[in-house]
Amino acid sequence: MIGVSEHILLGAVLFGLGLIGFLSRRNLIVIFLSTEVMFQGVVINAVAFARYHRHLDGQAFALFLLVIAAVEAGLALGMVMLLYRQKQTLDAEDWSSMRG
Amino acid sequence: MTGSTAYALYGVFALGAIAMFLLLPQPQRSRPLVGAVAGLAALALLLVVLATRVATADTTVYFYLFAALAIASAARVISHPRPVYSALYFVLTVIAVAALLVLQHAEFLAVALIIIYAGAILVTYLFVIMLAHQGGSAVYDRRAREPLWTVLICFLLMATITTRAAVLPPAASPKGVPVSSSVAAGPAQLDGPPATFGNTAAVGATLMSRYIVAIQMAGVLLLISLVGAIALSRRKVRSDVPPMSARPLGQIGREVQPF
Repeated sequence: MIGVSEHILLGAVLFGLGLIGFLSRRNLIVIFLSTEVMFQGVVINAVAFARYHRHLDGQAFALFLLVIAAVEAGLALGMVMLLYRQKQTLDAEDWSSMRG
Repeated sequence: MTGSTAYALYGVFALGAIAMFLLLPQPQRSRPLVGAVAGLAALALLLVVLATRVATADTTVYFYLFAALAIASAARVISHPRPVYSALYFVLTVIAVAALLVLQHAEFLAVALIIIYAGAILVTYLFVIMLAHQGGSAVYDRRAREPLWTVLICFLLMATITTRAAVLPPAASPKGVPVSSSVAAGPAQLDGPPATFGNTAAVGATLMSRYIVAIQMAGVLLLISLVGAIALSRRKVRSDVPPMSARPLGQIGREVQPF
């Protein structure tokens, strides 16, 4: 029987891979794709805990997570297009002046 | 997870970190083939370590299959030098995760995941990638930023989370009563063969009773995001790069490089 530990492990691996992409890639679109990979890891965790506790709270939480992902994708891609129209590049390093 | 399993997992994570470091796009000392072999070896070792501590059941093999698919495609999402392929590999990740959700008796969530992610969000991503396409893979796609430290930190994070997972008992034993007694149909339909296929009714009852305020707020949030996205895309932007139409009309064709 596959238990909750295996799903936590899988969720952690997906989350970590997404974090690697988020921190190391320079393309703005790929950065946001990496956050979606992290979301997948969190969804797996939430559903595994829903089954572990025999309760639907985890699944409801995962559904709200989908809502947040949709909102984030819409707004983030709008901003990415705005940045692209200004500099004609998707390189995150070009905006390093915002670091202050 | 006992001590020996944890140490085996640390070894697997170390091998995976080396593989990920080699797979990330870098101009010099790039050995993607070695990275791919090391990554596949790490994945196989991970599955072996998991298989040694889990008693086999009839659906166990599907968990391993889709877990391997999810991890491999996620690694490809973050390491592929071309964004279009990253997005398409992400579809593969979403499908594998949806299959894992079906194995967890979360049928409604699995279908919603495929419809929302693979259907809606990924199409948005592909639209933006096509709009901002520059032909071939750009310089910033072929060069990762600080790959060594990133891989090190993230794999340490994975190992830490895995260690904390040792606190939980390994089997999926139900832990007493639910945290709060919500819908009566909810917990009963989570496990075992359901009367009708799927748990859509139970999830819907939970959402419409216990989370009704949150549902309304989610709707408002989506509306705000819709208005915000439209406002963002309609904004006039002062471009730092001179547009083509600003040049004299006769010069435009002469400056274009033949491929």
